[in-house]
Order: sequence, then C-alpha cells, then structure tokens
Amino acid sequence: MKLWKIFYKGLFDENPIFRLALSLCPAVAVTSTAKNALVMGLCVLFVITTNNVVVSIFRKLINPKIRVPIFIMSIATIVTVVELVLEAFFPILFQALGIYLALVVVFAIILARAEVFASRNNIIHSFFDGLGMGVGFTGAMVLIGIIREFFGHGTIFNLQLLGSWYAKPLIVILPPGGFILIGILICLFNMLGFKLGDIAERKKATLLEKETMND
Amino acid sequence: MSQENKNSSILQITLNFTLASLLSGAILAGTYFITEPYSVSNKIKLKELSMRELIPTAQAFKQIANKNGWYKAMDNKGNLVGYILPAETKGYGGTIKILVAIDAEQKIIDYKILAHNETPGLGDASGLPEFRKQFAGKKPENLIVVKTPDPTKIVAITGATISSRAVTKGIKECLEQFDGLIKENGGGL
Repeated sequence: MKLWKIFYKGLFDENPIFRLALSLCPAVAVTSTAKNALVMGLCVLFVITTNNVVVSIFRKLINPKIRVPIFIMSIATIVTVVELVLEAFFPILFQALGIYLALVVVFAIILARAEVFASRNNIIHSFFDGLGMGVGFTGAMVLIGIIREFFGHGTIFNLQLLGSWYAKPLIVILPPGGFILIGILICLFNMLGFKLGDIAERKKATLLEKETMND
Repeated sequence: MSQENKNSSILQITLNFTLASLLSGAILAGTYFITEPYSVSNKIKLKELSMRELIPTAQAFKQIANKNGWYKAMDNKGNLVGYILPAETKGYGGTIKILVAIDAEQKIIDYKILAHNETPGLGDASGLPEFRKQFAGKKPENLIVVKTPDPTKIVAITGATISSRAVTKGIKECLEQFDGLIKENGGGL
C-alpha cells in the first residue's frame, strides 16, 4: 500500500512537469512530436529509476557536503554506461536515442529525486519513487507531444488525422508553442489538483464532524 | 553537531569524492573495455550498410587513393555506378556528418546523415525523406536554400532553416571538392 502511494504520487500529486515544474527544458524542447516525447520519457524513466536505486544503496557512504556532485557523477556514469552498451549491442537503437540520452544527464528532476527522496529512503521505496516519477514524466511528455503534434503537424504518432486542408500553425512546433501549452496544462492540472484537494478536505471535515457528534 | 563536524573535514570530503570518482571511472573503463570491440565492428558494418542503402546497385566499394573515406562504387560487372563521399558541416547544434552518394555524372543520388545534434522534431528533419528527395538529381550549382517552393532549388524545412542550410552547404562543398579532384586528375580517377 505504501509502495503504491510512493509510486502514485509521481503520476499526479507530484507530477514532475505539471506539479513540480521541474525538467521543463525537455518538456519544451523534445515534445514537438509524440514519438520523440515518448522516447525521451522512457529514457528518463530508466535513468531516474536506476539512479534512485544507486543513490539509495550508497546513501550512507556519501558525505552530505558533496552529495550533489556525487549524484551528478552517478547520473552521468549510468547514462554513459547505457550509451556504451547500446552502441555495442543495439547500434540501430543507439542511433535513434543518441541525442536524447546525452541530454538526460542534466535533467533537474533526476537530481531532485536523488536529493529529496533516494538519499533518505531505502532501496525499494527509492525504486518505486523513481518508477512513479518516470511514468509521470513520460505521461506528461506524451500528453504535450500528442497535443503539439496534432495541432502542429495534423498527425499523432505519425498517423495522419487532419487532411491537407489543415493550415499548420508553425508556432505550435516551435519552442514558444511549447511554453504556452505547458503553461495552460500546468494551470489546468493545478485547478484540478485544488479541486480534488478541496473535496478530500471536505470529506475529512465531515468525517471529523461525524466522529465528534458520535462522541 | 558532532556528526556535522566529523563529516566536514576537508580530507574526508576529498577522500569521499575521490573514491566516488574512482568507482565511476572503474565502471566506465570496464564497460568500455567490454563494449569497444563490438561497437567498432558495428560501426564498420553500419557504414557498409549505409553505403549499400545509398547506392543499392553497387556490389563493391573501392577506396579512392589518398582520400580517406571516399569510395568508388562498382556494380557486379565492375562498372562505375557512383561515388560515396563524406561531408561535414556545422549545424545548429554542432557538427553534422553526412554520407553523400553521387552517380558517375556527379549528380546527387541521395545522402544519409550519420551523426548530428540537431533539435529533435525540427532540425533532425534534414535527414528525413521529404527533405532529402529534393537533392536527387541535382548538381552543386542547384544547391541553394530558398524558403518559397522552387523545384530547381532546395526548399528549407519550416522552423529549421539553419539545419537545412548547413546540410545543403556541407553537401555542396563536398561535391565541389570532389569536382576539383576529378579535374585535377583530368576527368577520371
């Protein structure tokens, strides 16, 4: 139950992009098509989970004063190992992922999870935290990617949905369109979040009321 | 407080960091040691594969003397069907490496981008068929990037003019260099 909670909070309550507003750079830069967004998301999912586990294993050995450089080094090592292995055994995949993987090293969300969660929690919890954050990140990226690809290219995952009559607005594919869309989505998610929070609070209040009445 | 003091000794911090660096260095070195031979042989295979993709009729590739990476493509009867030339250019995000295929009359057949750092979704479209097919059959003097549709020139990708220009310029320069070599050798190689 606790594991599910740790996993689930990355999907919505602490969604990296929409709620924590971390790693907005890839959310703008790599989401012009749904496929790119998905690939990037999966790379992050893998790296964040692995890094959380590694940081959690070594958390008692890392001197707190230099934890951040060590976390960065850990991320860079994982990414480089993945790159080397892919290049050697899956060269086609490596060619497709090459530009994405190198970017992953500097993503704020991975460092943030190492700092906030993995360096303070045990290995299993850290694993699920990374998994949840990764899935939340991937979901957010794909959502942005689908919207931008649909309005910018008239396709979703390269599937033609709108005919040639559709005048493609270039701004949607360019970075400004990404910023505007992410702003709107963050706003929507926050509105939804507040509303759900409100409902939960009211439920709690009525429960409390009932309890006091019973007393 | 005592914990804090114990941890902040500069020697301990240095040791801690050194150990971490050593560990990650050792992991990287180990991985590289194992994967290196595979990736080298992969690179050669991939290169050969991309050359065959560019000129499907070619059976053998012969390196041109004194020109590293320049190849003559022969069909199974030993006739010259084209050339494979490496081009390099500076794009939006760094160096773009291209493999250009031209036929015996020095008209472009196709090209393939081997390595690049262009923006995914924008600049990387310079390697997609839609942009690439504009080059087929063109000679260096036609390689001019324009923004309005013109079948005799190269139309830039929307949102990626820099990448379009870079790729076109790289291919043009490569072809001119090759033309110079042919003329130097009196029309043949």
